[in-house]
Amino acid sequence: MSFDCSDYKQYKRLHLSGEVDLHNSPDVRRCLLDILNRKKSVIVDFSDLTYIDSSGMATLVEGLNIANKMNLTLTIVGAKDAPLQVLQLTRLNQVFHIVESLEDIEE
Amino acid sequence: MLAQIERLGATTITRFEDLGRMGIFLSRVFSSIFSRPFGFRDLLKQIAFIGASSMPIILLSGLFTGMVLALQFYAVMVDFGAVELMGAAVSKSLVQELGPVMTALMVIARVGSATCAEIAIMRNEQQFDALTCMAISPYRFIMVPRLLAAIISLPILTSIYNLIGIFGGYLVGVYLKGLSGMAYMQTIENSITWSDLKMTFIKSIIFAVILIWIAMAKGFFVHLEKGVSGAEAVGKVTTKAVVASAITMLFADYIVSSFLI
Amino acid sequence: MSDSQALIKVNNLSSAYGERKVLFDIDLEVKQGEILVVMGGSGSGKSTLLRNMLGLMMPSQGEILFNGKDICKVNQAELAKLRQSMGVAFQGGALLSSLSVGDNIKLPLRQHTDLDEKTISIMARLKLELMNLAEYEDLMPSELSGGMLKRAGLARAVIMDPKILFFDEPSAGLDPVTSVELDQLILDLREAMNMTIIVVTHELESAFKIADRIAVLFDGKLVTIGSVEHIKACSDERVVNLINRKPRINPLDADKYLSRLTKGS
Repeated sequence: MSFDCSDYKQYKRLHLSGEVDLHNSPDVRRCLLDILNRKKSVIVDFSDLTYIDSSGMATLVEGLNIANKMNLTLTIVGAKDAPLQVLQLTRLNQVFHIVESLEDIEE
Repeated sequence: MLAQIERLGATTITRFEDLGRMGIFLSRVFSSIFSRPFGFRDLLKQIAFIGASSMPIILLSGLFTGMVLALQFYAVMVDFGAVELMGAAVSKSLVQELGPVMTALMVIARVGSATCAEIAIMRNEQQFDALTCMAISPYRFIMVPRLLAAIISLPILTSIYNLIGIFGGYLVGVYLKGLSGMAYMQTIENSITWSDLKMTFIKSIIFAVILIWIAMAKGFFVHLEKGVSGAEAVGKVTTKAVVASAITMLFADYIVSSFLI
Repeated sequence: MSDSQALIKVNNLSSAYGERKVLFDIDLEVKQGEILVVMGGSGSGKSTLLRNMLGLMMPSQGEILFNGKDICKVNQAELAKLRQSMGVAFQGGALLSSLSVGDNIKLPLRQHTDLDEKTISIMARLKLELMNLAEYEDLMPSELSGGMLKRAGLARAVIMDPKILFFDEPSAGLDPVTSVELDQLILDLREAMNMTIIVVTHELESAFKIADRIAVLFDGKLVTIGSVEHIKACSDERVVNLINRKPRINPLDADKYLSRLTKGS
């Protein structure tokens, strides 16, 4: 798993690649919380994500909760295959704002 | 005739298997004491259960035992003109013998039975299988806190029993029989030695291990009881545990006393 | 749906309780990503087979391979590691009586991971929501019904998103509605998490609905193993009786029957 953090318009884009699981989700968490602490809205890019487990999901849920409290946004982009199925199984697809691609994100 | 011998042989083998199992059980519990992670919260919970909530029964039984001891000794000593030695007699009997033994018996009755039943029920409900399948050692997670809590609590409870027993003797001796309070306390000071205190401490530790070990082991192996299952089996092993720990404890009492007196 | 690598292989397995032999020469395979149902009546040995596969008892003969490694021969550390990628849902839930439902579910995470408590809390609640147990998080096991205990046990079994899930009698004691929901949940878990699931049951409807393959046990022997169609088409008398739920009929000897009824008079 690797992730990088870059700017996209006024957002920070957290790009996840590979598999997020119990071992590396704390790193993702640290990065996500850091971004939110700097008062930036987040785009979580799932396009290269092949697998995400409950610890990864829990991290994103925590992030969304904090974002809402700080009047920031957390958007998921490019969810497909297994990660999308997990979002559907947990019904989090009705909780997160999910878009197909970066272009679909409003200013 | 042959059938009777066969049955005797079978029973003997079963007894040895039982002892062997219990021995292996104890060694596994001991070797798990230093395994990580250590359950501090569980240890505290168990100390609260074994130690703190045994206090009422210890205080009451200690008080009454001390009072009865004083009455008994007075009845005998008054003929020998030795009543001033009452304090020494009461305290010596308590510290060397009655304190550790009675405390252990009270704890067996309360904690031994409850612990055995609790663990037997856990076995019946497959909770130990669940722990094993979660790669959590039942010995470290369930047994060690109880063992350590017993070892920590019993010396404290025994000391409290001794003290309140001495106080009970004081009440009877001074307020009922008119002895001098000062004399009572003085003879205690003169007669109780370090080796008496050592004995009370060593006995309480040994009794603690015996009672908690037997209670836990009998409960743990409830599924191997022949002919019974479910609630009936829980009742059967609990009774066995109480009886076995009481008898083993009294036997250990004799052995320790013969070495230390 | 599943690639046909064998995740678990059972070779020549025989098992006994002391002198009493319970399993005879069982050979079976569990493929990656499949749902295998082990079926049989009471006394067929299916619980014993499960206990052997979980490493809760040693076989008298044979081997049980997980990814090529024999669990009867690996050391404690390897076994512990393997167990963390397995989840087991026991028949009555097997929750620890001294912990709340929530703490029970969080237990594997607290013992085996360094995850932050906030993450653990949300993970537990995700699983509770999945099982419709959200309001019961702070209750003690003694306050739950049988069905709820089962679901809580399942939540704990899947809390670490295991690769392999074992489920002992999921439907026993459940009402039909909950049973149907549970069946669907098992299918969803396999789809979304790519779990390999082994279910031990005697419930036919559930088995036919969820199984990729069914293994039928009878008196400790593996009678047949195959897809649902294969089982339904099987001509073996024992399988046919199992499917048609025919009670075993002992042929009647009229004279002996009369003498049994009137014995002693």
